Amino acid sequence: MNSSFDTSYDRTMPEEFRLLCMLHNIGATTSEKSLPIDRISEWTRMETSVVQLQLQKLVELDFVHCTETEGISKYHITLNGIRKVLSTYS
Amino acid sequence: MATWEFPPRIVGGIARHCEGLAKALIRSGHEVHVITLDLPGIPYYAELDGVKVHRTAVQLGHPDFLTWALLFNHFMEKKMAAISQEIDFDIIHVHDWLAAFAGISFKHYLRKPMITTIHATEIGRAQGLHSPSSLAIDGVEWWSTYEASKVIVTSSSMKDEVCEHFRLPPEKVEIIPNGIDLSKYDISVDRQMVRNRYGINTNEKLVLCLGRLVPQKGMEYLIRATPTIRQRFPGTRFVIVGDGWLRGHLESLARSTKCSDSITFTGFIPDGEVVALLRQADVLVVPSVYEPFGIVALEGMAAGVPVVASQVGGLGEVIEHDRTGISVHPRNPDSIAWGVARVLSDPKHSAWLTENARELVQKTYSWDAIATRTVEVCEGVIG
Repeated sequence: MNSSFDTSYDRTMPEEFRLLCMLHNIGATTSEKSLPIDRISEWTRMETSVVQLQLQKLVELDFVHCTETEGISKYHITLNGIRKVLSTYS
Repeated sequence: MATWEFPPRIVGGIARHCEGLAKALIRSGHEVHVITLDLPGIPYYAELDGVKVHRTAVQLGHPDFLTWALLFNHFMEKKMAAISQEIDFDIIHVHDWLAAFAGISFKHYLRKPMITTIHATEIGRAQGLHSPSSLAIDGVEWWSTYEASKVIVTSSSMKDEVCEHFRLPPEKVEIIPNGIDLSKYDISVDRQMVRNRYGINTNEKLVLCLGRLVPQKGMEYLIRATPTIRQRFPGTRFVIVGDGWLRGHLESLARSTKCSDSITFTGFIPDGEVVALLRQADVLVVPSVYEPFGIVALEGMAAGVPVVASQVGGLGEVIEHDRTGISVHPRNPDSIAWGVARVLSDPKHSAWLTENARELVQKTYSWDAIATRTVEVCEGVIG
């Protein structure tokens, strides 16, 4: 009965979700604690370009919020993002 | 009580467990302080029906979850130390490994006994110990059971698991199940209005599934069962409530079933809406592959919806097959489809199941009964 299913789906955590978890764990959970891309890149050891791409996805999903301060974009996760992260654990 | 989650910071069953237990302890005349983590927008101190809730901000972070957990335990310890200047605690109750270090430190600092409730084990959650982090978490769990005067688990299958895995003497481990607040489910809902919100007609069968969208919840097996169920009951609709990192994969699996139009993923929804959905669902499916207790089955039983659940862990104890619900084989879409059909094809039998289930919940799983048992364990430890 299952022959028509997509059985090859990837069970590993998607990259953007891993980044979301890391943003949560490093404490970027409020606008006061928001971080610029280069700092996030340092923390996560991910290339800046990769971080930028993944953050864009997370902003579109409303898991991350971006604020501009003195011309610099800073990112922190939203309440929705926190809920999404917490759903992984426990 | 030390816990990393407490409402409205809700991750899984621990938050609801701690809330239900703490409120029931207050009703029986005890003083309860909960030390937990903060959530943006929520005050650092609040009283919730008499429960004193202290939230701590985590000032240091680390991308690795385990390291972060160790860091937030430090801030919990700091908060506990400050509170203990004013409060003379009798006992410390730790919930799961995530708050274990803070609880253990506090036990030694105050020279007061500590008990721990193990809600799940790392080896069970991860279905093995496949990484250095998992091995370390497993070690923390063992350490917390070693340091505790008593270990509480929520089901007899969990007792077997922790006694065997952590080599604990059976007399050190007490079984106290999860509880449920029945009054929360005694609400009348407008069936049509609730269904309208999800685009479901009143005459369509509604199969509900709720939980975190992670592998241990086994939702993929329900999704794989949907074509068989719809073949037999063509108008059936499926609503999957909850969120998690597996959501994208589950949505793509749903698309591959060719009946994805009948499957709705709601994401996170507030508690009140969950109750409303439960109250007018035709079946609640709990397809977990690992479930130390399975509070979601109790929620369904309390709401009066027939429950079809995998026979794993605590679920196999909460559900008495064909008397309080339907037990099905885990990881088996055919078995799930059979269980759903058993319920949908015989409304009279389903009504009898829900009646029995509600009676069982009332008798065995009230928070007041669970608090009484917890107090007995505490008193035995305090001496």
